[in-house]
Amino acid sequence: MKSEVMVGNKAVAYATKLARANLIAAYPITPQTTIVEYLSEFVAAGDLKAEYVAVEGEITAQLVCLSGSIAGARAFTATSGEGLLYMSHALHHTARYWAPVVMAVCNRSVRTMQPDHTDLLAQRETGWIQLYCENNQEVLDTGIMAYKIAEDDRVRLPVAYALDGYVLSFTAEPVEIPDQERVDAWLPPFKTQYPVLPETWDHDLEEYKKHWAQGKSINEPFTAWAGDENFSHLTMISWKGHDLQWRWRAHQEAMMRAKKVIREVNEEYGKLFGRSYGNGLLEEYHTEDADAVIVAMGTLASTSRAAVDKMRKEGKKVGLIKLKSYRPFPDEEFRDIANRIHTIGVIDRNISLGENGITYGSIRSAVYDMKDRPKILGYYAGLAGREVRVRDIEKAAEMTIKGAEAAPTWIG
Amino acid sequence: MSKKMSIRDLREEEVMWSGNPACQGCGGSIVGRLIFKALGRNSARVEVASCAPGFMNIRVPSFFGPAFEGGAAFATGLARGYKVIGREDITVAALIGDGGTVDIGFQGLSGAAERNENIFWFTYDNEAYMNTGGQRSSATPAHASTSTTPIAAMSRGKTSEKKNVPMILALHHVPYVATASVAYPEDLTAKIIYGKPLKGFRYMHIYSPCPTGWGTDPKDTIKLARLSVESGMWPLYEITEDRKMRLTYKPRELKPVSEVLKIQGRFRHLKDEEIAGIQEQTTENWQSLLEMDGKRLF
Repeated sequence: MKSEVMVGNKAVAYATKLARANLIAAYPITPQTTIVEYLSEFVAAGDLKAEYVAVEGEITAQLVCLSGSIAGARAFTATSGEGLLYMSHALHHTARYWAPVVMAVCNRSVRTMQPDHTDLLAQRETGWIQLYCENNQEVLDTGIMAYKIAEDDRVRLPVAYALDGYVLSFTAEPVEIPDQERVDAWLPPFKTQYPVLPETWDHDLEEYKKHWAQGKSINEPFTAWAGDENFSHLTMISWKGHDLQWRWRAHQEAMMRAKKVIREVNEEYGKLFGRSYGNGLLEEYHTEDADAVIVAMGTLASTSRAAVDKMRKEGKKVGLIKLKSYRPFPDEEFRDIANRIHTIGVIDRNISLGENGITYGSIRSAVYDMKDRPKILGYYAGLAGREVRVRDIEKAAEMTIKGAEAAPTWIG
Repeated sequence: MSKKMSIRDLREEEVMWSGNPACQGCGGSIVGRLIFKALGRNSARVEVASCAPGFMNIRVPSFFGPAFEGGAAFATGLARGYKVIGREDITVAALIGDGGTVDIGFQGLSGAAERNENIFWFTYDNEAYMNTGGQRSSATPAHASTSTTPIAAMSRGKTSEKKNVPMILALHHVPYVATASVAYPEDLTAKIIYGKPLKGFRYMHIYSPCPTGWGTDPKDTIKLARLSVESGMWPLYEITEDRKMRLTYKPRELKPVSEVLKIQGRFRHLKDEEIAGIQEQTTENWQSLLEMDGKRLF
């Protein structure tokens, strides 16, 4: 293991190299650009053995990863803001094909280059797992864990992990780099579960015939897979496999299973490499005796830690929940927290215009059925890259402690 | 360049099952059968939105509908993925309609051609968005009546010319570009047999009459396709890696375009002077092609 001072984008590139992704397709966009450049350098120098496809746009980038993954490659792409929005409908396809592609997203607001989380949160219905990182070390570790999660037979879904543009992408921090051999031992080469090859095609079609021979409709899952966690990609791939309701259901079930897998992977990684991040889905900080907690994602969690430390010194019993996994959403975990802590202030670096902050809505929904429903307060901060200072978080925390009834508040 | 074949030399093995819900006289359906008969079963098929996913029971792995604009991207990923697993022997064939090629798919197509991805692209061109009911595409010829260029008091059909995509692809300097027609299976097959072992981006643009959309008699599909070639409206040629262009079929004398136009409902409204204009342009184009024949282009 060695250590290097590196920017977030380099941490992404190192993670991708350590995970031995062998198909990379990406289109440059600020602030993601240097990820693409670092990876090109790795490939050009022979340090990373991969097909590097310098595509002409983000839709192509995503679809190359999708089909490459089906053919048997470990695929990686990275994008940001507008690039992610341009890629949006291809994201649906990757997820609906259950292709374990991994993507890094440097969060970028839409009409500025500065960060907020609206770009990736707007993709929450695409069926991707979404993990948000707080610092460059977490970026590198998550970039490796992402493949372990995506390729787990119980999941087989694409994973996006996010780092705040500029704040992490272009800021250097010391980062520990795990040894390649140890990563290799933990993350074996990708093997597609159901290779789609000319010589197996007839056999695959026989499976259809068996299904039909039983008088079953295409609207039912294939018998061979009913109750089987290791569902097949097959029907997604054939033209016969138009989308069907049972596949949405299977996708949702895989998402729910992913919670357990994310926890396991996080724990294993901690044992092997000495670092883990809360329970994988979220992390609690000074919540043990807290009267109130604030919830934050990405680098706002770091700012919030500083605010919590400061307020604790002043004798205020405030804690922090760092939300890492937005999809799947840790709803049970929030209910567990709400059993202990009755006032929760949610800071959203995003907004669903016409409603409210996105994580605020999700958390309120998660606790709705509780008998002793906690008070959930909402704050907007850091949109379009607006600087969020420790005192901004303090302000939100103070308001949360007071527990005043109020509509979501704009901070800063 | 491709070697001349006889229709008797076509492979016997069919790659398409019997049973086909396409419209009667569907040109695209014949194209699908001919392509995979020539390529053989060690291939994979990519399709996007078009009639093709619905009507072609072709026995090779088939990938449907990643995104309308994504035919080239999807084929690229498959080719690269097969390379990663050491299976470059599989021919990745994209079977895409004119919409997915010349319009919404054009950015990705041009990108894949420029990168010289190892794929074989087949455009079955029925000159409009036939799967959605016959709206104009940029492959629709001038004057044609479509559901978005109808004949009415203020409209005489499509006003702009057909986009010449085979030539645009040739300007990408890819290893192989060819045009073909359902009426000349021996020419089409010979070109595929030539193109199949080549590495890199190969492009074939196939004229595929659509009786439903063109307002023609289903029994006339082959006749119409043949007349289009014999009149010079759809020239058969190939452009090889050395950038040499060769006409693969040269009628001794061009048939008049009116013979092609008059049997199509979409051209029924044409006046004599409009037909004369089309005739003049077709003759000019043919003359230019004859001058280029056998020469190195650009």
